[in-house]
Amino acid sequence: MEKKSIWKRITDSREASLVIVLILLCAAVSIKNPAFLTLNNIAEILKNNAVTMILALGMLCVLLIGGIDISIASTLAFAGMSVGLLFKFGYLESTILGFLLALVIGAACGLIIGLVIGKGKVTPIIATMGFMYIYRGLAYVVGNSQWAGADALGNFKDFALESYLGFGVINNVIMVTVICYVIFFIIMKWTKFGRSIYAVGSNAEAAEISGIHVARVKIAVYTIMGLLSGLCGALATTVYASAQPDMQTGKEMDVIAACVIGGVSMSGGKGSVAGALLGSLVLAVIAKALPLVGIDSLAQNTVKGVLIVVVIILNVITKRVMDRRNLEGREM
Amino acid sequence: MAGKSGRTISATPEKVWKKQIFSWEGILVVIFLGVIILCKILSPNYTFANVLREMPKYLSEIFLLFPMAYILMLGEIDISVGSIVCLSATAGCMVSNAGVPFGGVVLAILLVGAVCGAVNGLILTQFPELPSMIVTLGTQIVFRGIAEIALGSGGSVSLSNTEGFWMIAGKAGPFPYVFFLVILSAVVFTVISSKMKYGRSLYAIGSNRQTAFYSGIKVKKVIFTAYTVMGLFAGIAALFLTSALYGANTTTGKGFEMDAIAMAVFGGIATTGGKGRMAGGVISAFVIVCLRIGLGQINMNSQLILVIIGILLVCAVLLPNITGSIKIRKKTN
Amino acid sequence: MSEYVLELKGITKIFPGVKALNQVQFQLKPGEVHALMGENGAGKSTFIKVITGVHRAEEGEMFLDGRRVDFKGPRDAQAAGIAAVYQHPTSYPDLTVTENIFMNHEMKKHGIIQWKEMHQEARKYLDQLDADFKPTAEMGSLSVAQQQMVEIAKAISTHARIIILDEPTAALTASESEKLYRIVDKLREEGVSIIFISHRFEDMYRLASRVTVFRDSQYIGTYEVDQITNAELIKQMVGREISDLYPKPRVKLGEEVLRIEKLSRTGYFKDVSLHVRAGEIVGLTGLVGAGRTEVMEAVCGITRCSQGRIYLEGREIHIKNPTDSRDAGIILLPEDRQKTGLILSWGLGRNVTLPILNRFSHHGILNEKEERALAKELLEDVDTKAVTVFDPASSLSGGNQQKVVVAKALAQDNMKVVILDEPTKGVDVGAKAEIYQIMGELAQKGYAIIMISSEMPEIIGMCDRVYVMCGGRVTGELNREELSQEVILEYAMEKGTDDKKNAKKEGAE
Repeated sequence: MEKKSIWKRITDSREASLVIVLILLCAAVSIKNPAFLTLNNIAEILKNNAVTMILALGMLCVLLIGGIDISIASTLAFAGMSVGLLFKFGYLESTILGFLLALVIGAACGLIIGLVIGKGKVTPIIATMGFMYIYRGLAYVVGNSQWAGADALGNFKDFALESYLGFGVINNVIMVTVICYVIFFIIMKWTKFGRSIYAVGSNAEAAEISGIHVARVKIAVYTIMGLLSGLCGALATTVYASAQPDMQTGKEMDVIAACVIGGVSMSGGKGSVAGALLGSLVLAVIAKALPLVGIDSLAQNTVKGVLIVVVIILNVITKRVMDRRNLEGREM
Repeated sequence: MAGKSGRTISATPEKVWKKQIFSWEGILVVIFLGVIILCKILSPNYTFANVLREMPKYLSEIFLLFPMAYILMLGEIDISVGSIVCLSATAGCMVSNAGVPFGGVVLAILLVGAVCGAVNGLILTQFPELPSMIVTLGTQIVFRGIAEIALGSGGSVSLSNTEGFWMIAGKAGPFPYVFFLVILSAVVFTVISSKMKYGRSLYAIGSNRQTAFYSGIKVKKVIFTAYTVMGLFAGIAALFLTSALYGANTTTGKGFEMDAIAMAVFGGIATTGGKGRMAGGVISAFVIVCLRIGLGQINMNSQLILVIIGILLVCAVLLPNITGSIKIRKKTN
Repeated sequence: MSEYVLELKGITKIFPGVKALNQVQFQLKPGEVHALMGENGAGKSTFIKVITGVHRAEEGEMFLDGRRVDFKGPRDAQAAGIAAVYQHPTSYPDLTVTENIFMNHEMKKHGIIQWKEMHQEARKYLDQLDADFKPTAEMGSLSVAQQQMVEIAKAISTHARIIILDEPTAALTASESEKLYRIVDKLREEGVSIIFISHRFEDMYRLASRVTVFRDSQYIGTYEVDQITNAELIKQMVGREISDLYPKPRVKLGEEVLRIEKLSRTGYFKDVSLHVRAGEIVGLTGLVGAGRTEVMEAVCGITRCSQGRIYLEGREIHIKNPTDSRDAGIILLPEDRQKTGLILSWGLGRNVTLPILNRFSHHGILNEKEERALAKELLEDVDTKAVTVFDPASSLSGGNQQKVVVAKALAQDNMKVVILDEPTKGVDVGAKAEIYQIMGELAQKGYAIIMISSEMPEIIGMCDRVYVMCGGRVTGELNREELSQEVILEYAMEKGTDDKKNAKKEGAE
């Protein structure tokens, strides 16, 4: 009985089952290729996926309130391009100012989206689709058919190479990711704002009646999403040492996929920071592992897509099986 | 029966011309005329013949609009169509290069499209608990992924034998063949959605799926059909796209789903389902196409055109909401 | 101190196009239970929302302890000690009981939520109410009665002095209602003033000392409960006298039309057998969760049954989906008109013809003129209060919506069996009588009628024969002569089906 309940608890909790999947995945790959689980390789994976991991936090909040944001990659490009070009033309030299500016641009972009959705009552998918065009276009417009390469970025690109935020041990980019996760973990679990995000997603009408300003929460969530997109614009610029108007096109789908695999519900109210983290980690490890186990890297996207479809279908099937078992257990 | 009060209920529709002019479709016609006048002022080359010449480039996307409008009316969404276009085009090019006659190539393109659409439809009807957004997000990645595998490391394929494709890209007078096919599809889709049982079922399911099911509407069949037709039309779009590009690559059709959704939404078809009319979608498609052609002629940056279309889209959905809330405020005062 | 803890004067609330409240007044004494009654659409719910600050009134004044107050939002009302438990539990299904109780007044220290203290405090409130579930339970897994308890705990946790209960017993079984009565009594003893909205006279007699009646958005009067008769009260609510509420016609019964044998669906019902004859009105009753709706949904192909046979006019039929059932002539009028009966945003005409579109389809094209003509005829037959067939269904009252659902059933001219699931739920007294009238006429025309209902008076008043269900089985079959409230209850509660089991069942569904 005891054993069964532990097993049930694990399969019941999406996070626990994802941890197991992640461990099995890592174990399988490292048997095939011992170089996989070295510290260097792990750090490399984390650094290269920092953008997805951080954006997954914002997307978690957006999905929790029952929304969606497909404009994030465009916001990211707009912020990244703005900062990159300012460095290129010598208007900016300080790394901190560069990051701050990216944050401000991102937050402003998000705020506008939030107002359109929260106050204008436009469906999130349509509003963010419009802004996906607008911000991506603006990224091209500010670029005016130019881009910022490694030599143009000066000391800004060194941020991704150094580790002063991580006390000389951990890379700056990874450190930024960790800080974001800690902040969000605290906000979502222990603050009133975090709980009101869950409340709005679970039952917006009730939230309004119990005195939560639903429109304000929505605006705040999209602003946060924009803020993180701006941050990632700066991060992506330093990590890849270039800012281009078409940077990270299609990233929003990866981020949504990470959240879905991490158990965040598309209809709102359900999901956790741990889920977002594990979801993006699973995707990252699979991407890295495929070539190592001899699957052509061309097949990467197919595997990712099949995985998403299989995961969501499996969810439905397990739920159905559990429901049927409950029904059979009923006395008549 | 009861009828004791002798109350009568009117069944005659009001005179509707006023309503129609002030409907969203009416406004769209005005916008359409406005766009044409604007482009005419901006560009001396904006003639009927020139617009028609440039149109085929954009027309393949309009094929996606028709079934996409149906799917939105159902309250569903399909973001995998761009990938279906890519996979169909890739398959078509490869089959053609393998020496299959053109008839077989057309069949292959349409079949691949329809099968992809049917896969979406099958998953969504077998697992109605799943939101279509997330299912088609998954298949979007899969379909393009399969095309990526097929295209190999080069990432692209060119047609070695363009004969058949060259033929369908032809013209009758100033009108390209594809133009007629678009108009024909527009008429057929409009009639089905406004005058036929299938159309009524679409709106019923989009407005209230449960009630539709309880009333004996075959919900699963309707949804499955819509997605399969969506795939089929993605195949048609791929056919004409290939005939314009003479090849396919991994980015073929990227973003098409968004363009199709944007056209439908700008045409007044809400993503929440049960609302809007096909006619609105068709007019809005031509508004967007004519605007793109005009702005392209004055050498406007193609990305800036996207910004304009994005702003138009946001305004189109924002305006009714804002005027609506102002009206309510006025009434209550 | 003022005589009244809460007093409202001359309240007017206008929604686009309608006056939802017109110069209404209300007085609540400290420590009293005050019933608020009226037909649907009389303005009770809007009035409650004005008190709780959800809506702001255009005109009028509100006094709390004699002091004038003006609530700008729900927050202000909460701060003033007013809490409401709404008709549909306004809970967060994905969150825990604790969070539901403390939503928007969480216990915090330096801005950080104190989970442990909050769970303990929630436990205390639940104990006060004799609740048998944990504060860490997920709200969505609880039964409606349990969720309501959480809502009440939430009201207590805000230290509310005035608690408003909006139709709290609508979804409860008899024993659950009894438990609620005890809780309300206890609250009153603690000095809380309570406003109680209900359609059930039983609730009012059991709890309230005074009753205020609204009609057509207007204040009609306030009465001492022990000084007004039932008939008088109905007259005040409806605005006219209702002579015969249950016009049960004498009908000569015909052949057996529908017979189901040993129908089972895993986890919902088992070995259910029943039959109905032409012209007969058969009742199907029992407590909420006994499986009544589930049986009929399986008969109509909404869900699939795992075992059993269904015979229509002596021939066995196999129904796999609602389309089959419609084609066979078995028509279900579902319980939830808004979710499964009608498309609210559509005009009445289109709603009526939705199941019979094939009939108007000539070469694939729908003949809308024919369609509207038929809809008009049917809607007039059932005496729907509407101006045109284009009126959206959402614009009608509950009773008239139910009439549209009836018209929709009548449109199906092959109809043999009519199954009405809670046909008068949420329908006001006036329209109820009209619906019974229509049922009687249907029986006279020779249709076989099955009525699912939890309301004893209508079961006893309208039915020729009654099946009682309990825990997924038919526990009794009663003829018209044997019908009485006590006998039905006895069968409905048979086999020791206690609250817990029922609650569990509802939770799992």
